[in-house]
Amino acid sequence: MSDAFVQTTQLTKRYGSRTAVNQINLELNKQDIYGFLGPNGAGKTTTIRMLLGLIRPTSGSIRMFGKSFPKSRMDVLKKVGSLVESPSYYGHLNACENLETIRRIIDVPAARIDEVLSIVGLTKDAKRVVKGYSLGMRQRLGIAAALLGSPELLILDEPTNGLDPAGILEMRELIKSLPDQYGITVLVSSHLLSEIEQMANRVGIIQHGSILFQDSLEMLQRQAKHHIRLAVSDPRQAAHTISTWGIHAAQHEDLLTISYVPNEQVALIVQQLVQNGHSIYRIVDQRQSLEEIFLSLTGKERS
Amino acid sequence: MRTLHRIFYAEILKLKRSRLGFILILSPLMAAMLGVMYNLNAEQPGAWPILLSQMAMAHAVLFLPLLSGVLSAFICRYEHANGGWKQLLSLPVSRTGVYISKYVVVATLLLATQLIFMGAVLFIGLLKGIAEPVPWLMLVNSVLNGWLASLPLIALQMLMAIAWASFAAPLAVNVILTLPNLMVIQSKYGIYYPWGQPSLAMLPQNDSFGINVSLETLLFVIGGSFVLFVLAGLAYINRKEI
Repeated sequence: MSDAFVQTTQLTKRYGSRTAVNQINLELNKQDIYGFLGPNGAGKTTTIRMLLGLIRPTSGSIRMFGKSFPKSRMDVLKKVGSLVESPSYYGHLNACENLETIRRIIDVPAARIDEVLSIVGLTKDAKRVVKGYSLGMRQRLGIAAALLGSPELLILDEPTNGLDPAGILEMRELIKSLPDQYGITVLVSSHLLSEIEQMANRVGIIQHGSILFQDSLEMLQRQAKHHIRLAVSDPRQAAHTISTWGIHAAQHEDLLTISYVPNEQVALIVQQLVQNGHSIYRIVDQRQSLEEIFLSLTGKERS
Repeated sequence: MRTLHRIFYAEILKLKRSRLGFILILSPLMAAMLGVMYNLNAEQPGAWPILLSQMAMAHAVLFLPLLSGVLSAFICRYEHANGGWKQLLSLPVSRTGVYISKYVVVATLLLATQLIFMGAVLFIGLLKGIAEPVPWLMLVNSVLNGWLASLPLIALQMLMAIAWASFAAPLAVNVILTLPNLMVIQSKYGIYYPWGQPSLAMLPQNDSFGINVSLETLLFVIGGSFVLFVLAGLAYINRKEI
C-alpha cells in the first residue's frame, strides 16, 4: 500500500450537505495510465482539484511520491503537470509567451518550450495569439503547458473534450506514449469508457462521489458476463425443451439467450435440440460489452 | 518566497500587448490640459504650489483612486478569463507569493503614473515660466505621499478583483465609492476613507479646501489600514477554492 505512487485515503469533499467526493481511496502505481471514469458530475474534477491543491479536502489524506500533500505542496507540485477541465490560456499572448509565463515560474531551460511545442505539434502556430486558436489547438497548448516542467505525474481532466476524431486519436497516441518514452505516470479522466479502454491499464470508476471499482483493465473486462445465443428454427418450442433441463432460456424474436454454461453442457443442449427435431442455425458466444459492465456497475438502465 | 521574483517576471510578461501605457498616461495628460488652461500668474510667490493644487485636483481626488481599482482588476482579469487561476495556482507557487507579485506590479504601475504626473507638473510650470525655482522636495513629497496613500486602497481593490470574476463589478463599486470623495475628505472622518486618502496626502497642506490633517496622523492611519487590507487579501487568496 505505502509504495503507491499516488494514494488517497478516505478522501472526502463536502459542500454543505452535498457530498461531492465520498471517502475515496485512489491508488496509482508508477507509469500507470490510470483511467478515472465516471459520468459528468460524479466527482472526477473535484477529486483532481484536491490532488492539485486547488481546493481543500473536507477529510482524508493524499500522499504523492511518498510525500504528504498538501503539506509538501511545493515539492509535490514541481513534479505534477495538469490540465483541468477546459484548457487555461492567456488569449492576448501567443503560445510561446503563454508557456514562458509558466517557464519563468518553474524555472526550466528555455529550450524546453520548443520541445513541448513540437511534442504537441504547435510549432508552426507558436507565434500566433492564442485568442485565434481552435479549441483543439488550445487543448494541445494545455498539454504542452502540462508537460513543460517534465512532470513525473500528468493529470489530464477530460483531455479529449471538444476535439475532433483526428484530434482524439492524436491525443490518445500521445498519452499512450508518455509512460514508455518519458517515464510519466498519467491520471486521465473521462466519461467515455471506450476512450479509457483504449489508453488505460488501470481503471477507477466513480459515481455519486464514490469509487465503484478500481483494478486493472483486464479485471474489469473479466467481469464481463458471458452469454450464449442460439438461433434455432422454432425458438418457442426450443426454449421450452431447454427449460425442462433446468436452464432458463430467454427468447428475443428468433434468438434464444442462455447464461454461460460449460462446453460439455453446450454440447448436450445442441445434441438434445437436434434430436428433438430443431434446426440450429448459429451458436454465438457473447460477452457483455464494457459499456454494459459500466452501466451495471453504475446501476443505470440502458435506454 | 524564493520564487517571488519569478512570479513577478511572469506577471510582467502577461502585461504584454495590453493597452496599459494609455491607461497610465491618461490622468497626467488630463492634468496637463487643466494646467495649461489655468490662468496662472507666473510671477506671484507660491506659483508652484498653486499649479500643483490645480493639476492634482482631478488626478488625486478622482483618477488615482479609480486607477488603483482599474489596475487591480486589470491584472486579475486574464486569470479569471480563461482558467488562469487554476493553471497558475497548480504550479509550485505559494498563493501568498502570487498575491504579493500582483500587488507589487499594480503598485509599481501606479508609481509610474505618479512620476509621469510629476513630469507633467514640471513641464507645465516651466512652460508657463514660473519665476520661483522648482520646489523639488514639495513635488516629490506630494507624488510619493499620494502613492503611499494609495497602497491600502490597492490592497482593498485587489481583494475585490481576486474575489469577483467579473471585471465590471469591482470597478462599479470603485466608481461609486470614489465619487463622494470631495465631500468625504472635507469631513473629519476623511482620513479614514481609503478612497479619500490619496487626495489628502497629495494635495498641498492648508490649501483652498481647508483640509488640515497632520501628515503623521494620515500616514499612521494609512499604515494601519494597509496592514489590515493586505492581511485580509492574503487570508482570502489562501482560502479561495479554485
